[in-house]
Amino acid sequence: MVHTAGQPMTTEGGKPPTNDTPSPTSPVPRGGRLARLVDRLQPPREEDFRSPAHHERVTARVGLWLGVAFAVCFVTGLISHAIQKPPSWFYWPASPVNLYRINQGLHVISGIAAIPLLLAKLWTVYPKLFGRPLVRSLHHALERASILVLSGAAFFELATGLFNIAQNYLWGFYFPSAHYAVAWLVAGSILVHVAVKLPVIRRGLVRLTAPEAPAEPPSGVLSRRGFLRNTWLATGVAVVATAGATVPLLRNVSPLSWRSDRGPQGVPVNRTARAAGVTDLARDPEWRLAVVTRRGTTRWSLAELTALPQTTAELPIACVEGWSQSATWTGVRIADLIRLAGGTPGTPVRVESLERKGTYRTSTLPGPHTEAPDTLLALHLNGEPLDLDHGFPCRVIAPSRPGVLQTKWVHRLEVR
Amino acid sequence: MGQRITRAALAVVGLALLAYGGLLAWEFATSRTINAVQGIAWFVGGPVVHDGLVAPLVGVLGLLIARFVPATWRAPVAVGVVLSAVLTLLAIPLLWRPFGVATNPGLHDRDYAAGLAIALGVVWLGVLVSGITRRLRGGATPRV
Repeated sequence: MVHTAGQPMTTEGGKPPTNDTPSPTSPVPRGGRLARLVDRLQPPREEDFRSPAHHERVTARVGLWLGVAFAVCFVTGLISHAIQKPPSWFYWPASPVNLYRINQGLHVISGIAAIPLLLAKLWTVYPKLFGRPLVRSLHHALERASILVLSGAAFFELATGLFNIAQNYLWGFYFPSAHYAVAWLVAGSILVHVAVKLPVIRRGLVRLTAPEAPAEPPSGVLSRRGFLRNTWLATGVAVVATAGATVPLLRNVSPLSWRSDRGPQGVPVNRTARAAGVTDLARDPEWRLAVVTRRGTTRWSLAELTALPQTTAELPIACVEGWSQSATWTGVRIADLIRLAGGTPGTPVRVESLERKGTYRTSTLPGPHTEAPDTLLALHLNGEPLDLDHGFPCRVIAPSRPGVLQTKWVHRLEVR
Repeated sequence: MGQRITRAALAVVGLALLAYGGLLAWEFATSRTINAVQGIAWFVGGPVVHDGLVAPLVGVLGLLIARFVPATWRAPVAVGVVLSAVLTLLAIPLLWRPFGVATNPGLHDRDYAAGLAIALGVVWLGVLVSGITRRLRGGATPRV
């Protein structure tokens, strides 16, 4: 931080430094202008920050909404995690069809909203970084340490999340494990932080009965209320600028939506047939779908599948990375296939792709989804035969499921 | 009394979540060297970049606005700067992609530079309108 001694470091609320009075404590400048400048460089003190934005009433309000954003993000993240790695007690319903889409939309939008909120929140408390002495007591030391964990974890989650939705991997680690572990650190350190600060928070949130005397210098850039309004505005702008990735109404509004309409058949593709290495296997005329039940294995060719009763359903592809797109899918009900092969719908089904490797080459459809009438082995998308990149010859499309589990290029179903 | 119980409960639950997160983070960091090195870099990087670079920049910009921008225009300009910064920040992962995956059809394939430029144009048009309105009202400048 650069400022000149003797001129209190003012922020946008304070009067800008106008004169050059040297501080009595600063060393007498010697030598050239550069040496004089270097002599005058020193960190600001806590009381040098005079902007109304640093008031605890501002901090409490921004903090409250940041807490709400993180809470939504955490809960929706846990739900998405549980769907992908279901513990034995976990139940996720097959309807309404858009439930996962909403969950994941909320996850990403609340995360994006948290970015301006976190920056505003940190700006309101930034002067405290310069509070001296650095550590006053054990209690104070623990408090500072917990804030370091909170800030590190919060930035970690928001930054990796933001780059991950852009599929821009500035790291070599496995994102889901890291993002999941640090989420618990954010949640825990927020709760500890609230426990420590509760009296300040309550004081800060109390509604003033009498109008407070305006303690703000008239030369300020933004008043307390102005800073808050600007924070809400920036949060709203961040949401509107990106939410078109999942909210149909904002499709043509959001300039920074990471999904477009340029995908084949109007639906984005997260993994092409070429990337999956299935281009030849998927086009092989010898391809057969195998459905394995206790009775044995039943095989269908594509023509035979097409000859079975077809069902059409309007279902979204909802990616864990937040984007979603509804589409019209036509194909054979998974429940019908299970029955034809001698199994009972309502039990989990393991789905296997033609992909040879990759984390998502298989998935397991849980019981509620295998009996749902709109869980399909889709052969058509938006009225056309499935594009190779959408999983030709057939793919799973089930209601309220993450896109990565809507397995493409299916060649085998195993009824458990 | 009530508040003391609330605070104690929050602290206990918070510490439990921290312990669980710490355990997960430990397992993550010890499973591969790259996890530990890059994980710590990302964890420490946020506060360092923010406290050492972003926040001072905000302070300096605030000072510059307070010093050089006429009073009527200060609030609109400050709002414009903040909105521009947020939009630019959100656009970085889409515009700067040294480690982006090969483009998937329908994803990350829009013209984000043009999108950002239009968004910034709208923001600064708003600044202009707001500033002029405040000037025309004159005298007692309403503070945002």
